[in-house]
Amino acid sequence: MDLRFTPEQQAFRAEARAWLHDNAPREQLPSSGTRDGFEAHRAWERRLHDAGYAGLAWPSEYGGRGADVMTQAIFEEEYLISGAPERVNVVGHKLMAPTLMAHGSEEQKRRWLPRILTSEDVWSQGFSEPSAGSDLAGLRTRAERDGEHLVVNGQKIWTSYGAFADWIFALVRTDPSAERHRGITFLAVDMSTDGVEARPITQLDGAAGFAEVFFTDARVPVANVIGEIDEGWTVAMTTLGAERAAPAKPAGRYLRDVRELVGIARALGLADDPVVRDEVARLYVGAEAYRVTTLRTLSLLARGEDPGHSASVTKLAWSGLEHDIFATGLRLMGRAGEAFATAPEGWWHRYWYARAATIYAGTSEIQRTIIAERVLGLPR
Amino acid sequence: MNLDFSAEQLALRDTVRDVFERTFPAAALRALWGGGEPDPKVWRALADVGVCGLLTAAGGGSEVDLALVLEEAGRAAVVEPLVDTVAVASSLLPDRAAQIAAGDLRVVIVSARMPFVANADGAELLVHIAGDAARTIDPGDASLRPVVGVDRARRLFAVEIPEGAGELLVDDADAVDLARARGAAATANVLNGVGMRLLEMSVEHAKAREQFGRPIGSFQAVKHQLADAHVALDGARGAAWYAALALAERAEDAVRAASVAKAAANDAAALLNRVALQVHAGIGFTWEHDLHLWLKRGLALQAAWGTTAEHRAVLAGHLFEEDVDA
Repeated sequence: MDLRFTPEQQAFRAEARAWLHDNAPREQLPSSGTRDGFEAHRAWERRLHDAGYAGLAWPSEYGGRGADVMTQAIFEEEYLISGAPERVNVVGHKLMAPTLMAHGSEEQKRRWLPRILTSEDVWSQGFSEPSAGSDLAGLRTRAERDGEHLVVNGQKIWTSYGAFADWIFALVRTDPSAERHRGITFLAVDMSTDGVEARPITQLDGAAGFAEVFFTDARVPVANVIGEIDEGWTVAMTTLGAERAAPAKPAGRYLRDVRELVGIARALGLADDPVVRDEVARLYVGAEAYRVTTLRTLSLLARGEDPGHSASVTKLAWSGLEHDIFATGLRLMGRAGEAFATAPEGWWHRYWYARAATIYAGTSEIQRTIIAERVLGLPR
Repeated sequence: MNLDFSAEQLALRDTVRDVFERTFPAAALRALWGGGEPDPKVWRALADVGVCGLLTAAGGGSEVDLALVLEEAGRAAVVEPLVDTVAVASSLLPDRAAQIAAGDLRVVIVSARMPFVANADGAELLVHIAGDAARTIDPGDASLRPVVGVDRARRLFAVEIPEGAGELLVDDADAVDLARARGAAATANVLNGVGMRLLEMSVEHAKAREQFGRPIGSFQAVKHQLADAHVALDGARGAAWYAALALAERAEDAVRAASVAKAAANDAAALLNRVALQVHAGIGFTWEHDLHLWLKRGLALQAAWGTTAEHRAVLAGHLFEEDVDA
């Protein structure tokens, strides 16, 4: 064990901090849920790219920096501290790119990777469907071969950035007679294809967030299949593996949220209330324990290991913590809590996002079952 | 930056696990419950494998090496004073390093903050911590009154030390804070080891016990409780390892990390305690089943070297004294 960073990592931290300080927009960008706001975020992605901060983890042969996981984590941490804008092409950078690198043809890599790097193409993920959420293999979107095209019919849902993304990678069923995990194909679809329609879904807090994407006789070239037709489940496992291996949510976020609670308590004159102090300290303990969990995960990734099912442990830890922090915040605000003015600016948006944390990227129930069966070895 | 244990550290853990399996089976723990005294061969065996002198200058070990040893001590529910002697006293008593390493000096810490002391009658030396000072006390100068506690194997005593007895060891707030942090961080590791044993027993029981024609571990309601217990324990173990590392590297946040570690271990221990008995149900509520030996050790250690509320109060002090924008 060793707490120190290498001189190279320290130098990188200083460089990233200085660049973000000088370049991150001072004013908050308009919401990424509007077309103008989305394009403003895309323009910011372009600046990150031009400065060499997009595709930090990508191998140099694909235009990345080939940075080790520790360096990536340093960047994520500095990015968080700087308060720079939301990243709108995470799906492209961290999910589609590694999937392409592992399963794409040379032609596909040349075609898509450079445009992902620059965010000329922003990608979205088409896995979930109305009847296939936790049970992903229950997906029903169909694709039938017609010459050099696949004709797609069906619906995807909960698609982040679906309303503005340029491309979507979708899992489609190409052999309905095959057993559940077979007969599925991993397909890249241009969102401007005829028969592809994205409808924004207004979230429970009134904000635009995800979308539903409808496919009606959409003709997609067979050349857009990643891997082999009917073998998409294997490809999707790489995508989900990349999601697991991406260093988990930066712990700095929760330490910041806990400090925000300290501010809320102070503003409400509760800084000396022993119950409030106990509650906030309890959450600080959770945030610190989670910080150590992220360091352990990074150590494991640095050794080149797949975190495997421990990713479920990590996800339960951070989503539970996030829930707990915001539930406590609401309790602190007490009788005045229902009025928006009581909370800091933007707090309620983050409150609802915290409520979503135990749902997206695998519900807590799915994660608990994975831990019980795969880690603890309990019978199915 | 890396939080991996080395192959040597893992090998030491395995060695110590063997030592405990050999010298301290569950029957030995039962014997202590029956009023027996600790068998000196356990401490002797720990000295032989180099654990007693691990943190002395000549021992060449670190708090991180010790962390996994302490978890094993919790798993086995041994009563030897590893926390007091090895984790805390080694650094306070550099002149006695050779005796500690040889297993000839069992030290027990008597703190003004802890009303009772476990196994005080087995110590060759007491160290009394009060305020900003630590003193060495000859056990002959102290009066020991037995106290019956929830965990009989811990052999509790109320210890009275006459005013001005013994020799002054340190009179320095930072040094005493550090000693307390060492005790809290080390106890966190032991408590996590107790939790590991509770979880192991509960998982085994859930696999073996059948109801409605199926192992109860196949029911989601049972699975999810055990998964939550695993998650809490995993976080607590990491926090305690980190505290050990921070102490080993003399990091700025070492004392705070120790409070985080103990508070996290206490929270996990409380959950493990509840889940373990719930999963075992009727059989866990019997004297005959071993579960209660670990349940009770867990309850006792939740208060040792600082309760949850005490450590949270320390951390709240740090949080609420920081600048708003920090």
